[in-house]
Amino acid sequence: MSAEPTLTETARVGDPSDLPPGGSGRTPARRGIRIPRKLWLPWLLLTPALGVLGVLLLYPLYRVGALSLQEYRLRNIVTGEVEWLGIDNYREVLTDPLLWKVAFPNTAVFAVVNVALTVVVGTLIALLLARVGPWTRGLLTSAIMAAWAVPAVTGTYVWVFLFDSRAGLVMHVLGDLGLVDPDTTNWFTERLPFYGIATLNVVHHGFPFVAITVLAGLMTLSREVMEAAIIDGANAWQRFWYVTVPLLKPVFAVVTILSTIWDFKVFTQIYLMPGGDGANRDVLNLGTWSYITAISQNNFGLGAAIAVLLTLLLLAITGVYLRVLFRQEEL
Amino acid sequence: MSTIAGHRTISGRVWTAVAVVAVLLFSLFPVLVMVSTALDARANAGERNLLPTDFSLDNFSFVLDEGGFTTYLRNSIIVALATVLISALIALLASVAVSRFKFRFRTAVLMMILIVQMVPLEALVIPLFLQAKSLNLLDHLFGLVIVYVAFSLPFAIWTLRGFVAAIPLEIEEAAYVDGASWPRMFWSVLLPLCAPGLVATSVFSFITAWNEFIFAITFLDDESKYTVAAGLRQFFTQYGTNWGAVMAGSTLITVPVMLFFVAVQRRLSSGLVAGAVKG
Repeated sequence: MSAEPTLTETARVGDPSDLPPGGSGRTPARRGIRIPRKLWLPWLLLTPALGVLGVLLLYPLYRVGALSLQEYRLRNIVTGEVEWLGIDNYREVLTDPLLWKVAFPNTAVFAVVNVALTVVVGTLIALLLARVGPWTRGLLTSAIMAAWAVPAVTGTYVWVFLFDSRAGLVMHVLGDLGLVDPDTTNWFTERLPFYGIATLNVVHHGFPFVAITVLAGLMTLSREVMEAAIIDGANAWQRFWYVTVPLLKPVFAVVTILSTIWDFKVFTQIYLMPGGDGANRDVLNLGTWSYITAISQNNFGLGAAIAVLLTLLLLAITGVYLRVLFRQEEL
Repeated sequence: MSTIAGHRTISGRVWTAVAVVAVLLFSLFPVLVMVSTALDARANAGERNLLPTDFSLDNFSFVLDEGGFTTYLRNSIIVALATVLISALIALLASVAVSRFKFRFRTAVLMMILIVQMVPLEALVIPLFLQAKSLNLLDHLFGLVIVYVAFSLPFAIWTLRGFVAAIPLEIEEAAYVDGASWPRMFWSVLLPLCAPGLVATSVFSFITAWNEFIFAITFLDDESKYTVAAGLRQFFTQYGTNWGAVMAGSTLITVPVMLFFVAVQRRLSSGLVAGAVKG
C-alpha cells in the first residue's frame, strides 16, 4: 500500500473516469473533467456487510474476551449478574496439565502433521494432473471435487464407520488377516490411533483445495521455462525443486498458511469421533475443550478463556499470512 | 507441458496410470462406502462388504419417514437458500465498494475482512449462544441464517472483489454515456458481469450453511427445527449405532452437494484462483 494517492479525496480506482452527478444521470459523462466525489457511496455499499460483521463477528469477539475475565455460569444467565474475576480463568487454564500435556499438543502437533501431509499430497496430485491428458484430467478433477464436497460431518461418520471396532470394514479385514483381535481392539480410546484416523479424515477433506490451487498455479508457468530447463539437462526433480517451487512460492505460501489456520481450529472432525465430545479427555484439543467447558458444562467464563487462547494462536498465524500476502502485491 | 510428456518412457506411463487409479480410489472411497452401506438392508448385520449384499432402499425410507429427514432436509434447504441470497447481495455491494472506490480506511476494511475469517467458530459460539438465548433466537431457523450469512461474507467479499476488479471501467463508462444512473449501471452492467463470481461464492455460502454443525447442534434443541447435520446424531444411541440409517442420511446430505460441486467445478476453481492466488 505504498503508492496510494491522498486518501482525503475519493477518486475512482484506475483511470480518470467519473460518476454522473446523483440526479442528472442524463448528461453524458465527459471524461476526466467533472469528478463528483461521492464520499458516501462506498460506505453506503459497505453498510450492510459491516453491520452484519460487526454484530455477529466483532461484538461477539469483544464479548468472548469479556467473558474470559468473568465467572459466568447458568445462574449468571438467569440473574444477569456480572462477576469479574480478573485473570483467574487464564491462570486456571495455563496451570492445568491438561493444556500442556493434552489439548495443546493435540492441536499443534496434529495441525503441523496434517498441514505437511495435505500440502505434499495435494501438490503431488496437482503435478499428476498437470501431466495427464485432458480427458484423464477432467475425470480426476471431478473425483477430487467430489471428495471436496463431502461435508465434514458425513465424512467423519464414514471414517468412524470404517474403523469401528464392531462394524468396521478395516477391523474386519485386519481381523480376518489375523493382524488384530477385533474383540479387544478399540482404536478410538487411545490418542495416537484416534488422531491417526482424524488425520486420514482431515487430509482427505483438505487435499482438494491444495491440488486445485497448485494446479492453477502450474498452468500459469510458461512452457519455455520448462523447455529451457530440459535443454540445460535438469531432471524432473531438479525442474520441480529449482524451477516450479521458486516460481510458485506465493501459491505454496497461501495454501500452507490457509491449511494451517483450518487445521488449528478443526472441531467437527474431532467432536464427532467416539469419545471426542468430552467423554475421553485424552483426545481433547483446544477447540473441543473450549466448547465442552462452556456449552456442555456451562462454565462459560473458563470456556471463553480457552477460546481466546486459541484465537490468539490463530491471529499470530494470520499475521504471517498477511505479511506473505502484502509482500506479493498490493491489496 | 506436452513436449515434456513426449519424453516419457513406458515405465513412466505405468506409474502415471497407477497414480491415477490411486487418486481416484482415495478421492471416492469414502463416498462409495457411504452409498453402498446406505443401499444395503443388512448394513447393521455385522457383515462388511464393499458392495451391498442385500440391495434395497429400506434405509432411505426409514430415514425419511421415521428418521424425520423430510423435515430436516426442508429446514436445511430454507436455511441454505436464505443464506445464499442474503450473503450474495450484501457481499456484492461490499465488493463493489472495495474494488471500485478509493476511500479512507479502505485498507483497514480489507484487513478486517481477512482477519475475521481466521476467527475460530469455537470462540464465537459461546457469546452468540448467550446472545441468541437472551434474544430468544434459539430454535429459530432465522437465528442460524444470520449467523451463516456472517460466516460466509468474508470469503464472498474477498472472492467477488477479484471479479468486480476484472470488469473494465470502460464498460461502466459506456453505461453512463448512455445515460444510466449508478444503480442502473450496477443492475445492468456489474451484476450480470459478476455472475460467474456469484456462482462460485454462492456455492460456498450454500455449503457453509448446509454443512455447518457446531451452531446447528448448539442453537437447535427442538427436533422439528433440526437441520440435516444435527438430525444425523439421533441414529447414535446408547444401544448402538444404526449405521444403515447414518449412511442413508449422509448420502442424502452429501450427494446433492457433490453433484452441484462437480457441475460448477470450472467456475468454482476459477473463482477460487481469483480469490486465493491473486490474494
